[in-house]
Amino acid sequence: MGSVCERGEVAAIRAVEVRKVYGAKHASVEALRGVSIEVASGERVALLGKSGSGKSTFLNLLGGLDRLSSGGLRVGGRDLDRLSGRAMAGFRSTTVGMIFQSFNLIASRSAIANVELPMVFAGRSSRDRRATAREALEAVGLGERLNHLPDQLSGGERQRVAVARALVNRPRVVLADEPTGNLDTQTARQVMDLILDHVREDAATLVLVTHDEELAASCTDRIVRLVDGRIVSQIP
Amino acid sequence: MQWTDIIRWPLASLAQQKMRTSLTTLGVIFGAFVLAASLSINEGVQRTIERESSRGDVARKVTVSSGWRATETKTADDVKVAGRMSPERHERIRKTLAERAKQGSARQEQVNLTPEQLETLSRIPHVRKMVPVVGGPVVATLGNRPEEASVSSGAGEDPEFRKRVIFGRTFTKDDERSVLLSEMFAYRIGLVDDADLEQVIGMPLRIEIRNQEGGPSLYVSLTDRSRAASTHDEQMALRQLAWQIPEALDRFSLTDAERSALREALQPESSAADPAVVADDFRVVGIFRDLTDEENKDAWSRFPADTDLVLPRQTAVALTFRDPSRREQGIARAVLFVDDMKNVQEVVDKIEALGLNAGSAVEYIERERLTYLLIFGAMTCVAGVALLVSSLGIANTMLMSVLERRREIGIMKAVGAADWQLQALFIIEGGLIGLIGGSLGLLLAWATSFPSDAWVRDMVRRDMDIDLSCSIFAFSAQIAATILLFTIAVTILAALYPARRASKVDPVTALRHD
Repeated sequence: MGSVCERGEVAAIRAVEVRKVYGAKHASVEALRGVSIEVASGERVALLGKSGSGKSTFLNLLGGLDRLSSGGLRVGGRDLDRLSGRAMAGFRSTTVGMIFQSFNLIASRSAIANVELPMVFAGRSSRDRRATAREALEAVGLGERLNHLPDQLSGGERQRVAVARALVNRPRVVLADEPTGNLDTQTARQVMDLILDHVREDAATLVLVTHDEELAASCTDRIVRLVDGRIVSQIP
Repeated sequence: MQWTDIIRWPLASLAQQKMRTSLTTLGVIFGAFVLAASLSINEGVQRTIERESSRGDVARKVTVSSGWRATETKTADDVKVAGRMSPERHERIRKTLAERAKQGSARQEQVNLTPEQLETLSRIPHVRKMVPVVGGPVVATLGNRPEEASVSSGAGEDPEFRKRVIFGRTFTKDDERSVLLSEMFAYRIGLVDDADLEQVIGMPLRIEIRNQEGGPSLYVSLTDRSRAASTHDEQMALRQLAWQIPEALDRFSLTDAERSALREALQPESSAADPAVVADDFRVVGIFRDLTDEENKDAWSRFPADTDLVLPRQTAVALTFRDPSRREQGIARAVLFVDDMKNVQEVVDKIEALGLNAGSAVEYIERERLTYLLIFGAMTCVAGVALLVSSLGIANTMLMSVLERRREIGIMKAVGAADWQLQALFIIEGGLIGLIGGSLGLLLAWATSFPSDAWVRDMVRRDMDIDLSCSIFAFSAQIAATILLFTIAVTILAALYPARRASKVDPVTALRHD
């Protein structure tokens, strides 16, 4: 279970003095310099900052794609600094769902196969995951394009497939790294609405990394600014 | 991850890169083809050697003849070495003297195929049948016409021999008092018409076994003809006359004294050691023909029966052993039939331990098999190397694939793929290349075996005049399993390092967008 936030809500994310250092001793780069933050369950938080501020690095740590150098990090009730490789894979498969700016779909697989992917590694049966993936794609309006390859889809459609894939295992934490960065304004709005609808529906926690202040303000409950690997402000 | 996915995903990956998969698999196909061809030829040739050798029981046959056995060997421990010398030199000289003493003092006695030894031979474990072979020169008398003839026993045991009986029948029991005549012997003694051959069936034939120098007691020749100038027919007629004169002395106009003197002169000299003449009457039951050219090809594997007369084996033995001195000297040889080719060597060892000589084709067959085993062993090694080389190609290709698919691997990791799952996918991909390549290589070798077999058999028929009854290729389930397991194992080994590299892909780096 998550810890209790200052506001009395159960924390979906709790980061304490998280540091991340890349490289060897003499040529090391400190990407995160003691980030501490709590995000309540169901809360939507935007991480804002310039390139190199450490927001994507922090998102990768939250998503279990990378290991922190020091500090403590608890996401969805799991202490990530203590998880084994296999447990971390399970965590990525079921607890978090990640959406990337460049969609990150497997080009050689159809839309439905891409959406099935997290369920494949979670060990769900073929029939079950096919039905679930179909539902997820229908929910994002791609019921007619199940067997299309990513190359046969528009940018917005690809991101919708990525959203369906991120949410298909109903994760407690959704991590979106500039999900609208490669989309036009209208499509961006549609994709964002889709993400928010699903987050609300599942009462999931959303961490959104973006440069877009307007998007952050309109879609999230809190805006956290990062500069040089440190949190410099939180609004509200 | 379900096991169906562990198969399906690598298959999809292979299908995605058709050309690369085809070329990689081609290497495995070639290796598996050579391996399959080598193993199947090896197995097939071994079987062919065994089958061809087993014709007519030759591989299970042990021929036994008399031999020598050491009776006593003086121990050489008490050898004295004179002089003062170093212990090393003392030991060298003592050893040499001991060896010499041993060799010089060996006593040996001849071991003959006596009735007792034959009984011992028939009781050796794994001996299915013991056939004493009695043979040699005899005097055969049909009516009042004695004729030198050769006799043998044993051929009646051979089922193939029945085909050669052209009149009458073969033996029904091995101790019946019957005899078979060769058609050439019959012709020689004047039974030339078919009707003569039919009439001779049922007639008595007297067989005498004399000492080795047996023959007419007197020599008859024509005074005005040298031996070189006389024809063969003349010589045979004179010899026949010489045979009949002693029996016909009463018919000549001779005085009693002359008759008595001649009888005494014609009596063969005998010593105590010489065997006595044994004789008995037998009924002619059949006439057999010579071997045809076709049968002659396999004659080495059978009882050739190239004698004038053939007796049932027990009858022949009984006739021979009727004389006590022959009981002591034993018969010329005996043939043992062993239950299985594998036990022949054991039987041979036991016979040699008795002091008898034993000969079998097994040693020759085994040497032949070893030769082929070495040749095909070398071929198999070459095939193994070919597969290993193709496995390096697989390792290289898969490593390239890992590098090319880093982003895909990163995505899979991001959505929950564990390191072991990624490793499994790549290892199975390698294994599938092995399975597909191995199966196709095996199939190709099998398909190629038909024209190759036809070509080899044609060559053997043309050059050696031998008709091989079965294929020289053998594709057993064991060979197929061995090839498939080997190719799969090799390709899996080749995939291990790429699979490990795949599992070590850093998803953050792999997913960093350009």
